[in-house]
Amino acid sequence: MTEILTTVPDLALPDHTGRQRTLAELAGGDPLALFFSRGWWCPKEQRYLRGLAELQDEFEIAYSRLVVVSVDPPEVQSAFRAGLGARFTFLSDEMRCYLDELGLRETTDTVHHPYRPAAFMLYPDLNVYAAYNGYWYWGRPTHEEIRQDLRAITREIRSDWELA
Amino acid sequence: MKSTISFDGKSLRGEPGAPGRRFRADPRCFAGEPVLDAWAHVCALDDADAALPFDQPEVQQVRRDALAWWIPLLGDTLVCLTSLALDPVNYGGAITVTTDPGSFRLDPFARIFPGAVVRTSLFSQVPPPAGPVVERYAGVAWPGGSF
Repeated sequence: MTEILTTVPDLALPDHTGRQRTLAELAGGDPLALFFSRGWWCPKEQRYLRGLAELQDEFEIAYSRLVVVSVDPPEVQSAFRAGLGARFTFLSDEMRCYLDELGLRETTDTVHHPYRPAAFMLYPDLNVYAAYNGYWYWGRPTHEEIRQDLRAITREIRSDWELA
Repeated sequence: MKSTISFDGKSLRGEPGAPGRRFRADPRCFAGEPVLDAWAHVCALDDADAALPFDQPEVQQVRRDALAWWIPLLGDTLVCLTSLALDPVNYGGAITVTTDPGSFRLDPFARIFPGAVVRTSLFSQVPPPAGPVVERYAGVAWPGGSF
């Protein structure tokens, strides 16, 4: 895990349709799994996001949100999203507005200047519960780790968690 | 906050007591400045028997389709989108409001109940749902509500 952030700033970026969005708006009061991704061209991203597209079937009924940020333009993200069968939101930081503020510039890729893959499991107020450095593929959270993190967050924020 | 709307098969009315079948919509659709002369695709019937539980697989799947491709397809023309609730359990249809009716023939909600094209100035701009949540919040018409 990486300890680079305790709260993720309320990123303001266009989504995969080009609409301006903020992270707080997308969280909408729910736990949020936030993923920074290199972009569609990276085979590791393709594999990992295919996995997230499988996991979305649980997010959709668990009152939890899932957002991916990359440097791909919205129209590229939209095509990639459709190819994945994803139903969650992609945010486009094509202008690389937040790379350095977040400390997530991947310095080893001097061609695309993408995000270094990272994942953050967030409370609805964007405070970080868990952070993962995904530069090496195995550093990324598994589905089970995501489930465990979201269980812990949900237990904390839902006052009726203990109700039977 | 206003959330109910009436549909008589041809027109949409927002005032209490208006003729037609009464539905609850996402209240955010009426909270902002109305978009004048917009186009609504009303996939609902003025028929008390036209209802399905929100939890039916076909009603869940049409919400998935809305997130996957219907909203991206509409692009900037989308004003707002709401399902129509009859009570805390039952789905009565959906309305997609746009500034261009050209894509209505592809509306996935028309798989459940057939669509009628209606000119309207009742609805305001609402950011489309972010997904992937298709569940409703405390009985509010999807995609509205929160905890």
